[in-house]
Amino acid sequence: MRTIFRPARLLLNLSVLLMAFFILGPILWLAAHAFVSGWQYPHLYPSGFTFTWWSKVFMDSALKTAIKNSLILSPIVVLLSMVICLPAAYAAGRMNYWGRKVFMIGIFSANSFPKIGLFAAIATLYYTLNLMGTFVGVLIIQLLGTIIYMTWIPAAAFASVPRNLEEAARDAGASKFRVFRTITLRMAMPGILVAIVMSFLASFDEAQGSYLVGAPAIYTMPTEMYSLVQNYPIQVAAVFSILLALPSVLLLGLARKHIMGGQLADGFQLK
Amino acid sequence: MNTKDDMGLELRGLNKILGGRVIIDDLDLSVAKGEMVSLLGPSGCGKTTTLRMIAGFLPVDSGQIMVAGRDVTALGPDKRPSAMVFQNYALWPHMTASKNVAFPLKIKGLSKIEIKEKVEAALELVNLLHHKDSRPGQISGGEQQRVALARALVQEPDILLLDEPLSNLDAKLREKVREDIRELQRRLGITTVIVTHDQEEALSISDRVAVMNSGRIEQFSTPQDLYRQPQTEYVATFIGSLNRFEGNLQDGQIHGGTDVIGIRPEDLTIANEPLEGSHPGIVELVIPRGHFFEVVVRRQDGLFRAFTNENVPTFGEHVHVKIKKALRYQNGKLVA
Amino acid sequence: MISLRSKNKEEGSRAVTRARPSFLGLALSLPPLLLVLIFVGLPIFIGFTFSLGFTKGPNRIISIIGQQIHVKNHWWGTFAAYSDVFHDSRFLGDLGLTLFVTVLSTVLVILMGLAISIYQRLIRSKQASVLVTLAIIPLFVPVVISAWAIHTFYGGDGFLRSFFAQFGISFPTLTSTASAIVIGSIWTSLPFAILMISSGMQGIPDALIDAAKDCGAPVARIIGHILIPLAKTPIIIAASFTAIGILGSFTIPLFLGPNQPTMLGVEISNFFGSYNRPQQSLVMAFIVFLAASGIAILYVWSNIKSAKESGRI
Repeated sequence: MRTIFRPARLLLNLSVLLMAFFILGPILWLAAHAFVSGWQYPHLYPSGFTFTWWSKVFMDSALKTAIKNSLILSPIVVLLSMVICLPAAYAAGRMNYWGRKVFMIGIFSANSFPKIGLFAAIATLYYTLNLMGTFVGVLIIQLLGTIIYMTWIPAAAFASVPRNLEEAARDAGASKFRVFRTITLRMAMPGILVAIVMSFLASFDEAQGSYLVGAPAIYTMPTEMYSLVQNYPIQVAAVFSILLALPSVLLLGLARKHIMGGQLADGFQLK
Repeated sequence: MNTKDDMGLELRGLNKILGGRVIIDDLDLSVAKGEMVSLLGPSGCGKTTTLRMIAGFLPVDSGQIMVAGRDVTALGPDKRPSAMVFQNYALWPHMTASKNVAFPLKIKGLSKIEIKEKVEAALELVNLLHHKDSRPGQISGGEQQRVALARALVQEPDILLLDEPLSNLDAKLREKVREDIRELQRRLGITTVIVTHDQEEALSISDRVAVMNSGRIEQFSTPQDLYRQPQTEYVATFIGSLNRFEGNLQDGQIHGGTDVIGIRPEDLTIANEPLEGSHPGIVELVIPRGHFFEVVVRRQDGLFRAFTNENVPTFGEHVHVKIKKALRYQNGKLVA
Repeated sequence: MISLRSKNKEEGSRAVTRARPSFLGLALSLPPLLLVLIFVGLPIFIGFTFSLGFTKGPNRIISIIGQQIHVKNHWWGTFAAYSDVFHDSRFLGDLGLTLFVTVLSTVLVILMGLAISIYQRLIRSKQASVLVTLAIIPLFVPVVISAWAIHTFYGGDGFLRSFFAQFGISFPTLTSTASAIVIGSIWTSLPFAILMISSGMQGIPDALIDAAKDCGAPVARIIGHILIPLAKTPIIIAASFTAIGILGSFTIPLFLGPNQPTMLGVEISNFFGSYNRPQQSLVMAFIVFLAASGIAILYVWSNIKSAKESGRI
């Protein structure tokens, strides 16, 4: 590997700096506001530090309701998604049945399309089914967003379990169920966990659809943000943002090895 | 003093440290123009590292590399007058055979007509003109290798480098490809360096072989010399089979001692009756090897492996083994 | 992963057989399939009929609630709603902005993705890994927060303006402009593009690059003739998905863009909700679907073309 000479190295370090500024700047700027009492333009430092905005958020009933709604809805959505999609993922990953490719691509296409248009169409149906502004309505919207993750990624995980490992276990005397439990499921587990994380986040962070069909009756944390930024001071938005981002950062941080290590990218290859 | 015309490749005092370990240790090598040499050794001996340094993929820590009389040490692989055939051929899958071979010529900026001529000539040389529009994925491993060879030869390099050229081929194909490479190299007269861990491969096609151990060349001679006069114990055990005993040889008998005795299997005679200086033993194994037999005889403190094809003994027989010729080593070096 | 083997060998547990009809397989895939059919397929179909003026049955309630509904006057419906939309200067302005932002942002995202991935592939330095890690960070942040954070950062009292104010420069407020939408779109699209392109680049074996160097290739040629062609598929996937994502985006243009013209995603929501013109809203939705399909078809076509070229088909 040849060494990089001076001017090139300078340029490189500069681009790293610019990139850090571009990516981290907005996040850090907003996060900082969660802890300040006031921050006036054109100062680059706030007028004071405080935690009062945190208590204000936790005492506000509308915001508390939104937090509660999110924390109740998302786990239910993920569990439902697992029940509905994992068997299909298993079939798609292990059996080469007729229509498998069409099924997978169909799920993929349904997910890749501009969501807002889709939600408008769904809202039309919801009016008829009386689902506008209901929990079930929002739940279905969030559920739809998890399908792609709960089918494609576990399918790839199941497909990657080498058949000869299972055959060796059967040869050693294990029953079909035992093989599934101790070998297949265990080896596919990282992929399934990534799917669970991505699905949870897809549900937790779902904003557009929930906004269109849920507001003004039901607010989740993300949909609350839409009105919050207009009705509350920036510090409240900052606190709420940190709270909303917390599950995301934690879960993806835990699963990042698998995501960057290829489970996510591998999951999206159709074999 | 060698004139420029005599020089194929010269390595002077090469050193390389990787990850805190000395990989290449003060290595010298002189290859004549048009000569075909092999770097032979087990994995980790440094042969691939040396090849990559010659090609320019690995910078040297110290030392010089001269190709055709020119010092190329500071040049990158793109500027060196060497061309390499990689172990897995490294053909670009999105290009046809012709495009693969044409690639270096396009870089040189030759005209379309010139490129077409040279590419077809190169493919003709390796008997693959009929596959000129095939992609690597559509041809066999052996054919891929020939395309890689054509791509190297079309550059008219001063030195051709082959990295384990036969290791990915099956046994039958290996012999044929071996001979093809040898014939081609003789015809074109290009200085060639081959890296291999297979001694049969090295010994059968090289003019000279450099046996490497831990980053140094232990011996650099013709295949016959390596076999008959291995200068070090390492070379003696690496090349061919060797009966190795620790001790001194006196009147054909092995006694305890500080030397190491090495005997080639064909230098042992097996007889039914005791001969002068022979060792008694019992036959443990008789292995048919085609046109000769390998006989393993157990004696009081070791085994003799001998090659013979007359009076082949049977299992369990009492025989007498006589040493016709032996190699003596002190501190790993051959003594007269 | 680039494979030099001529035949496909499948490792893993799917048996190498031709697809055959399987009752169990289809039965297990039924639940998600039904869910998608009922809540995606059906609404799209019904929505499409509604846009053409079919106001009975499932479209009855929305037809009563909404304004400016055109009822069908032929058996196949009516183009009146579509005509409304295409004659609406607001829509045309939105369409122009949407296409402009989509194309510009996609091009910039792909260029950035290529630059970082190629750099990481050819020079394994610490800076390269830092760049890649930074580019992936937006994946961890929910879109609503990203949009708001970018708004405050580039806004009137934002960091950018405050920073330049220290030097007495009055930096323009970027929010409520198309530029802000482009910045926000790039910010949110980078992670997926980088993951795709970088994995494509990393999958190119060293030997292929070394062989090019050995043939005398300078860096530019290695990039243009070896790296990019071999990573063509992930690059096109990244471009398609980035474009489709930005085309129909809602939150980013809502927070960062101007009120008029705005991106079609926002306009669809406006027409459906505040202006109470659901039929025209759905017309716009289908126009966006059409554009997205166009991009998807381009993607499939390029996939087929490259599969033919490499001899897979």
